[in-house]
Amino acid sequence: MTKFRTTPITAAELTAEFMRLKRGSVSRRHFLAVTGLAAATAILGRSGAFSLDAHAQELGTQMSLATWPNYHDPATFEAFTAKTGVAVEVNVFGSNEEMLAKLQAGGTGWDLFVPTNYTISTYAKLGLIDTLDLSKVPNFDPATQNQRFTNEGTIDGKAYALPKNWGTTGIAVNTGKLKAPVTSWKEFFEVAQTEGDGRAMVHDYQLTTIGNALVSLGYSFNSVDAAELAKAEELLIKVKPHLFAINSDYQPAMRATDAWMTMCWTNDGAQLNRDMPEIAYILGSDGGEIWSDFYAIPTSAANKPAGYALLDYLMTPENAVKEHIANGTPTTDSRVLALLPAELTSNKIVYPDEAALSKLEFGAAVTLTDPARAEVMARFKSA
Amino acid sequence: MALQAGTRRSLVTAGLAAPAALWLLGFLVLPFLAMLVFSVGQRAPEGGYMPAFTFEQFLNLPARATAFANTLVLAPLGAMLCLVVGYPVAYYLAIRAEPRHRLLLVSLIVVPFWTSLLVRTYAWMYILGSRGLPNLLDMIGLPDIRMLNTPGAVLVGIVYGYLPLMIMPIYVSLEKLDRRLLDASADLGARPLSTFIGVTLPLSMPGVMTGTALVTILLLGEYLIPQLLGGGKVFFIGNALVDLFLQSRNWPFGSAIAVTLVVVVVVVLAIAMRIAWRFAGTRRVDLV
Amino acid sequence: MRALVFAVYLFLYAPIALVVLFSFNAGRSASEFTGFSLAWYGKAFSNTFLIQALVNSLFIATVSAALAAVVGTLAALAIERMGPRMRTIFDALLAAAIVVPGVVIGIATLVALAAVFSVINPAVASIWPGDRPPQFRLGYASIIAAHGLFSMAVVTMIVRARIAGLGRDIVEASNDLYATPLGTFRQIVLPQIMPSILAGFLLAFTFSFDDFIVAFFVAGSNTTLPMYVFASIRRGVTPEINAVAASVLVASLILIFAARFLMREKKARDAGGAE
Repeated sequence: MTKFRTTPITAAELTAEFMRLKRGSVSRRHFLAVTGLAAATAILGRSGAFSLDAHAQELGTQMSLATWPNYHDPATFEAFTAKTGVAVEVNVFGSNEEMLAKLQAGGTGWDLFVPTNYTISTYAKLGLIDTLDLSKVPNFDPATQNQRFTNEGTIDGKAYALPKNWGTTGIAVNTGKLKAPVTSWKEFFEVAQTEGDGRAMVHDYQLTTIGNALVSLGYSFNSVDAAELAKAEELLIKVKPHLFAINSDYQPAMRATDAWMTMCWTNDGAQLNRDMPEIAYILGSDGGEIWSDFYAIPTSAANKPAGYALLDYLMTPENAVKEHIANGTPTTDSRVLALLPAELTSNKIVYPDEAALSKLEFGAAVTLTDPARAEVMARFKSA
Repeated sequence: MALQAGTRRSLVTAGLAAPAALWLLGFLVLPFLAMLVFSVGQRAPEGGYMPAFTFEQFLNLPARATAFANTLVLAPLGAMLCLVVGYPVAYYLAIRAEPRHRLLLVSLIVVPFWTSLLVRTYAWMYILGSRGLPNLLDMIGLPDIRMLNTPGAVLVGIVYGYLPLMIMPIYVSLEKLDRRLLDASADLGARPLSTFIGVTLPLSMPGVMTGTALVTILLLGEYLIPQLLGGGKVFFIGNALVDLFLQSRNWPFGSAIAVTLVVVVVVVLAIAMRIAWRFAGTRRVDLV
Repeated sequence: MRALVFAVYLFLYAPIALVVLFSFNAGRSASEFTGFSLAWYGKAFSNTFLIQALVNSLFIATVSAALAAVVGTLAALAIERMGPRMRTIFDALLAAAIVVPGVVIGIATLVALAAVFSVINPAVASIWPGDRPPQFRLGYASIIAAHGLFSMAVVTMIVRARIAGLGRDIVEASNDLYATPLGTFRQIVLPQIMPSILAGFLLAFTFSFDDFIVAFFVAGSNTTLPMYVFASIRRGVTPEINAVAASVLVASLILIFAARFLMREKKARDAGGAE
């Protein structure tokens, strides 16, 4: 760990360190720290004398982010733009498969994107993401991260993706409209065909839709067994005529009460419940998904410096706190946890009890590449 | 000049045709050949394409039977509905409307084209959603009628989007009609209905054929309207195709479906032209 | 019958009216009208990405329509002079360009270009002397080329129909009077087919400006207006989109009436000049 210098530096020492920097023997961060310049700029920066970003020119004026619905506070990006002059274009997707397809086809122009835990090993294997240069993300501290959620971002000791937040996939039910109790995925699929006929939604991608169907039948969330998948497909096709829609953007429909029940992620559950208290968020008693989302930088990024700048900005606890308060996701970073208001940390939707989490499974990488699961999902959608 | 007149003529012709030829070769023939090659390949383990030579993709086509069925049923049905709704409008505009109003009325049919189909279809998402028509129906005592995300909603969206395209050729065809023929028919004692069936309808057939063929063929490849108004539940071939590339990342199977779709479209086109030739009695067919 | 026609007009315009109505909505919702406000127009026109998408669409539509008009006219003239076999081949290819669904064109172009780039880019990089070899990627050129394909075929069809209707005797008369072929073309043929070329240009522009599915696949990192609108619909629409749609509608209405006005002017002038 580099020590910050607090005693005055001689000209010779400064020059020596500068030459080391120029030769590339040390990182810029080391140079700044060792020469005391870091301390100096930090003080000056805080007082607003000039911007902390020494390399503002390299950042360009635009960057592109690919993320999920209702996942960010718009104010975060506005503040980032004000600080760095880089405008952030936000592209929203409802599934990892779609992000992967676009990256595989090439030319997406994304500088930062949000993959879920089970996809990272595949992205790395396909060479679509590179190891991250952690020196460019000084505000990330691996020591404060909860390893239970963050280990999939590191492959062979190298960091490929940095954690954003974790969460669960449960059932959002409008208890004002639906009186039947929905406590498990089995009940979800049953009520969808009876009292909730024409009012239930499922996600538009294979992991959760097939996974929760499997769970409701007593199988594992990540199963790729042909017989089990066949049963799940049978169930899904039976339920399909009774569904309102197959869509990962379910918030508008739930808010408009077009739909009364949906497969739901923690952040949407928290947001819906906050604005419409009659919408409850329930974790399936027979199982379900626990997940963590990460930030990663594609190898094909057009503006990598800006990608790193935004990543660093989002890793800073003060900025991350605002994001978590706005989108209602649980954090993996203990520094952020310390800064969160009590009403959020005691919210059982955002921070469920350990007992409720015990039956949930993390998504497995094999489900992303397994052709059988992809084909079952596709058949279900075109049925 | 040593070049003969004939050679120079050929060179000029070749020169004139070259840009178009290159464009067609590079962006129509080449992509289609690529699709053909992919369609006999295999899906790579992580998605994408793996070189191979197999017909398993085409053998797997029945897995999307519903999507094909949806398209092959709803597309002609939508075209028929457009015809049924559109013909009277075209008739009124061409024959009954006062000439000074005609220009304005016809322009008003064309103007919706100039509003993004996306935004207009989105308006239907609102109208058919629970805050729109079903809400009104609820107020007059017909509760819980679901309209959005059904094949019916897609049908409404189709008719809405393609109606102008059906009306225009029929209108042009009817407008060319010699009014004196209608007068003569009436003078010879025919009732209005007989005049319509015996004179007007046959003479407007070119326009009807053009409109119906155009709308049907365009509908076969439709993606947006089922996507927005079908809620992910109503799949046309176009939707199945996009899904195969974007979610399953199964390029070979997707290519096979694309090739099949093109074949279907060409077959429908051929049928339409056959019917038109039979009707016109000759191979030179007027478009309107 | 009048009632039916009136109902159809209502059917056609009710959604458009709704879109325009909600563009003035004071609230955030695009489905609940809470008050009158012009705020969304302000927001829309200060949204850099929305404006960029709009500008992209305008640029792509103009360039692809212009290219389509020129190349299509040349092709129409060429086809007239061709022998029957070449003509059939050309006709078939042009018909295919029109009839093949946009979704197929989009995907096929993406797949073909991806394959081509994966071969060309390393090849160029290996022989490039400098540090940063040019990288071929999807972008404006690919969208313009894909849009223009369909448009060019349509222009060719329209202009060919017009040429077929031209009187051969005028062309012969012009040749008899010792005009060069180019002169005959410029002074006799071109003015007669100009309206068709313009009609083709307008059609091509509309098609390109409104196209979603082809651009969706071949746009690379660029965004066109329809792509932006589609993404917004998924995100949950605010009346900002309505504001843009209403503005585009008004702009196109102005264009139509301006074109109409100019046509009428030209007709009057031509009629006057012919006397």
